Amino acid sequence: MGRIKQRGKAGAAKAYVTRSAAVKKLQCSLADFRRLCILKGIFPREPRNRKKANKGSSAPTNFYYAKDIAYLAHEPVLRKLREHKAFAKKLSRALGRGEWSSAKSLEENKPVYRLDHIIKERYPTFVDAVRDIDDALCMIFLFASLPSDSKVSPSLIENCARLAAEWQLYVMHTHALRKTFLSIKGVYYQAEVFDQTVTWLVPYQFTQTIPTDVDVRVMLTFLELYQTLLGFVFFKIYTDAGLVYPPPLDTKKDEGAAGVGAFSLEEAKAARPAAAPAKSKVVEVDGKRISSKDVRQTIKSIAASGSGDADVEMSTADAPANEDDEEFVEDNTEEDPEDAPSAPAFTTATLPTLKTLSTLPQSTSAKLFAPYTFWLSRETSRPIFEFLVRAFGGRIGWPASSGSGSPFDEDDESITHVIIDRPLVQRANETDAEKERRRRRKHVQPQWVVDCINAGRILLEDLYAQGKTLPPHLSPFGEHAEAYDPTAGLTGAAEDEEMDEEVEGEDDAEVAAEDSEEEEARPAKSALKAAATAEDAAALRAAELAAEAAGIDFGTFEKEAKKAQKKVKKGDAPQEEAGEQNMNKMMMSNKQRKLYERMKYGQKKRAEERQDLEQKKRSIEKEKKRRAKA
Amino acid sequence: MAATDAKKLSKKRKVAPEEEAPVPAPSAFPQEVGLEMGSEDEDGDEDEASDDGEVEDFPEIDASSDTEDEGDDEDELDDEEDEDEGESDASDDSLHVWPKPKTVISDITGQPIRVYPDIEPDYDSDSSTEDTPNRVGDIPMHWYDDLPHVGYDINGKKVLRPARGDELDKFLKTVEDPEAWTSAFDKNMQSDKPLTSEELDIIRRLQQNENPDANYDPYEPTVEWFTGKGKEEVMPLSAAPEPKRRWVPSKWEKQKVMKIVRAIRQGRILPNKPKTASGAPQFYAIWNEDPSTGPAPAPAPKPTLPGNSESYNPPEEYVPTPEERKKWEETDPEDREREFLPQKYAALRLVPAYDNFIKERFSRQLDLYLAPRVQRVKLRIDPESLIPKLPSPSSLRPFPVYRSLQVPHEEVRTRAISVSPDGAWVVSGDESGLVRLWEVLVGKEVKRWKFKGKVGAVEWCPRMDVSFFAVGIEDHIHFLIPPNLPGPILTATQNVLAPATLPPPPATASPVKWNSVPAAQSSSDAPILTLSLPSSPEPPKQLVWHRKGDYLASVSEAQGGVWMHQISRRHSQAPFKKVKGQVQLVLFHPTKPHFFVATQRYVRMYNLAEQTLLKTLTPGIRWISSMDVHPSGDHLIVGGYDRKLCWFDLELSDKPYKILRYHARALRSVAFHPTYPLFASSSDDGSIQIFHARVYNDLMTNPLIVPLKILRGHGVREGLGVFAVRWVPRQPWLVSAGADGQVAVWCA
Repeated sequence: MGRIKQRGKAGAAKAYVTRSAAVKKLQCSLADFRRLCILKGIFPREPRNRKKANKGSSAPTNFYYAKDIAYLAHEPVLRKLREHKAFAKKLSRALGRGEWSSAKSLEENKPVYRLDHIIKERYPTFVDAVRDIDDALCMIFLFASLPSDSKVSPSLIENCARLAAEWQLYVMHTHALRKTFLSIKGVYYQAEVFDQTVTWLVPYQFTQTIPTDVDVRVMLTFLELYQTLLGFVFFKIYTDAGLVYPPPLDTKKDEGAAGVGAFSLEEAKAARPAAAPAKSKVVEVDGKRISSKDVRQTIKSIAASGSGDADVEMSTADAPANEDDEEFVEDNTEEDPEDAPSAPAFTTATLPTLKTLSTLPQSTSAKLFAPYTFWLSRETSRPIFEFLVRAFGGRIGWPASSGSGSPFDEDDESITHVIIDRPLVQRANETDAEKERRRRRKHVQPQWVVDCINAGRILLEDLYAQGKTLPPHLSPFGEHAEAYDPTAGLTGAAEDEEMDEEVEGEDDAEVAAEDSEEEEARPAKSALKAAATAEDAAALRAAELAAEAAGIDFGTFEKEAKKAQKKVKKGDAPQEEAGEQNMNKMMMSNKQRKLYERMKYGQKKRAEERQDLEQKKRSIEKEKKRRAKA
Repeated sequence: MAATDAKKLSKKRKVAPEEEAPVPAPSAFPQEVGLEMGSEDEDGDEDEASDDGEVEDFPEIDASSDTEDEGDDEDELDDEEDEDEGESDASDDSLHVWPKPKTVISDITGQPIRVYPDIEPDYDSDSSTEDTPNRVGDIPMHWYDDLPHVGYDINGKKVLRPARGDELDKFLKTVEDPEAWTSAFDKNMQSDKPLTSEELDIIRRLQQNENPDANYDPYEPTVEWFTGKGKEEVMPLSAAPEPKRRWVPSKWEKQKVMKIVRAIRQGRILPNKPKTASGAPQFYAIWNEDPSTGPAPAPAPKPTLPGNSESYNPPEEYVPTPEERKKWEETDPEDREREFLPQKYAALRLVPAYDNFIKERFSRQLDLYLAPRVQRVKLRIDPESLIPKLPSPSSLRPFPVYRSLQVPHEEVRTRAISVSPDGAWVVSGDESGLVRLWEVLVGKEVKRWKFKGKVGAVEWCPRMDVSFFAVGIEDHIHFLIPPNLPGPILTATQNVLAPATLPPPPATASPVKWNSVPAAQSSSDAPILTLSLPSSPEPPKQLVWHRKGDYLASVSEAQGGVWMHQISRRHSQAPFKKVKGQVQLVLFHPTKPHFFVATQRYVRMYNLAEQTLLKTLTPGIRWISSMDVHPSGDHLIVGGYDRKLCWFDLELSDKPYKILRYHARALRSVAFHPTYPLFASSSDDGSIQIFHARVYNDLMTNPLIVPLKILRGHGVREGLGVFAVRWVPRQPWLVSAGADGQVAVWCA
């Protein structure tokens, strides 16, 4: 006989702990526990049997893995939190006693925790981290747009804005952006970084206020983690791209609301020893060429906080001169030496490597806007379109009212497109030059840019011209397989409609005609019946012959035959089948039946949704037609 | 006492500082007074001697102490005078009861101790009890309430109760006697006794919240026993010279300090650098070293990507109609299918801020850290593939598919039907007491019998050589012979039911009475044989024939309502003395001497030959309504009022092999076909379900159950549907009786 098993000593009872037990074990407050859970990424688990896990009680509780909690128990952050608690007590005591100097020294020696080890634990490899930065990016972009208040400090918002700009800079620099979607919530962007799809949502530029029912402390704790995570991720991606991290910020430009343009990407010199020594180093920054000399000067100017305007002008002056070596910066990462041997291999061997495959198709669409120069009208959102256009290799300028740092003026000759979001207004006092300019440039609505990006090619501008009703903007992310497809729905719906009308019309006609032409119709009908029941080609052929003999021309016969076949199929076979299947359902086990019913329910719901939309579309089309006729 | 005081006074000038201890305040307790005084005397003597010693060793210290003493002297004198007054008070107290202690110097400690005179153990020694003549001790005095005395004195004589006046006397006493208000009632003596002055003093002190001890002085000056002047340790404990480290600065400390100083000078240590790192975290290549070998934590599931409906400019069909909008607004935010309403804007500049943005972000974060995550395998299967693949019903013909004829029973519920063993006749009984005999093929009614009361059950005898059937009505079972029987069969039947020579009556009288009409007088109009069961209000629920046609079992509502009737011996017996639960149904095993008894929840299987319980089957049905056994005897189906049908493989288990739930209402009847692999079940939903049930001889193959057909046609009256189904032997035909007063025959 084995040892007697004791209750609660093994299995689920031991593997799970309730939240209150966890808090008790860790000897920390619930708030600290929450903070730890957020930072360490520990979440409740659902035991197979709640009753077994909770020692027989079925009270509603959250369960954690006991091992997770044991793992938290020797977490350095937990120790720091305890130290912080002691510190807070000491500080309040010192303040209460009016011991200012000791309070000051306490404040200076305040315990601060670092999250580096947590980042490394949660994301053992870099790819893991990149896979999980979606939420982090969303939060960073949200907080970058929030106003600061007592709970959200200005430095935090500044840091978020900096991180957001750094991410955008990187995406623009590597042309990693793939898809964009203008939704009612904000703008969704999807980029491909290190073969991972990263999607983030940026709210439109309006002041957001934090609702009262939102716990800011939770958000700030998340933000703490996300800032650290993104810092490390950006460090890695910048250094891998041969850039200096953090990118230096031009405070002057930043004050002038230059946004992303206030940062300048800087080549890390030590990182790329093989970069063309003969040429003077030229870096593409903000769509401009900057030589290494300029960079040095910029650094000097930042250090001295001297006039930032001087080098802006200088860089713009340089821009046209360096136009010819535009391709230089594009693939000057560390991967250059790796690519070099792979190139001949690609030509000789038939098997392309994964890397070459992934890089090949992007080359066309990644620099979609490279030949164009855009001008932003002042009512369009500059951060969105500056990012979009520059991420696809285009140049973009904007009026001073949208912020400083525009690389060219409105009357620049190179401008090919104007992104404008205003109704068309005829202006009386337009000079000839303006008219000419107007004629030469294409005025498009903002949706054109996004649709071009999603389509991967330049669409015709006419549909999106200023003042026109826009075609619908569809999600580039696609929907589930059975979902309603607004683009493909048109043909099927039209056919159905046609069929419906036909059937209705013909039914009436048939009733009328049947009496008069009964004798004539009889052979024809029998032929049709034969056609309907005909299962193979030979039988169909025989029926066709019979019909011909009865004096029906082939076109009508074919139509009728098809219809009759459909009817027959619809009529008997499915009914029988359905009856049998319904009876066979009796023999399903309870579990299977429930699963079946659940699946059927889901299918039905999706189909209903789809039919609903199709129906609506049909009625809208009809309405349109009627209006067109009237 | 006065003498000692005087001595003290004379010596006072030379008293050492320790003797400045205050003289205690006058005390009511002489022993304490004695203690203090004694101690002073002795200490004084002692100090004389010690002083002498000191003078020899450290004369300079002695001198300083003297000078200090001079200054204190006057105060001490004042104190002394006060004390003297107090002491005189104390000496006035003659009421002390304790013997006076002597104070001597202990040989061991050198401290003064009090020594009391020895107590002589005779009666007089204990002065505390002297003046209490009542020697009853500390007992509840109410024991003496009824007696003239209050106790006994030391000689055993009664101490009489002192005369106690009435209230007026008491009052007068308080007026007359000036001590009356300072006297208290002495329980022991049952009389008033004046309080002593010290007792009064204690009361006064207690009233004034003072210490009850009169000698206690809260403002005593501290006695410095071990410290203060003259108490210094003048002799060192160790003669070792003072170590050098006591007064030379440490070399090693200096070296350590210099190291720090040098570091500060060189800038290696910043003196007032705050320990906390400045706000900006430092980033480095964290992923450069090798990752740990353990698996990475599973990444959080990503939120679903937006669809077309979230577009700022969706196709028009996505825009909700006013009804949809209203419905969306009316539903609780938690129940909404999507958290936003699709909207269409003509231009991007018109798109407003999304006001739930922060809330949605927040709820995502709550999901991340609060929601339990479970990994689920998504089934990518066609739901139709879950439906079991069974042979097509068309390949399993014949089975009843249509209603060939219908015999109306005047809208009266028909509960009982039975088909004759040759399959030509059906007898049906309804609730109005009519029993009809009709023909299966055309439905022609041949004869009807009218009884009083509801017909509960009818059953043909399965014997082929005779032809009769039993009808259960109230507490009677009638045996009827159908008309127009061929001669030999008729005589055989009459011989069976009403033999010329009755078998001997059983030894023990049975409560069941057997009454038969002699064969000569019998006709098909009246029952030839009638059994009267012990009276029960309800008709017998069920009649079951043994396959040989000699035994008939009847079940009725009453407790212990199972009876076994043997036709040949004209004898009835109750097989069970007591059955747990109410018996619903009984059944004979088709081949073995086994007997099934269904109570409300269980089916028990008995061996009649050995009179033992073989098995208890648990179908898991709340209330069993019907039961039938497969002709092979190895399978049993049980139907219940809770819509379940259980198939038992008796060889396999006590638990059902299969539980089917397909009827919408309670099952009423189940029946196996005697020859075809078919069974049918009828239900209160008015439908009859036909199954193909193939049973295999080898034990390895499970029985094959295929649903074949649902027969509808019976109406539902007052929630009651089809009461009974019976198969026609040798034909795939079914006879069913319903609550709508119809009996139908279903043909293949």
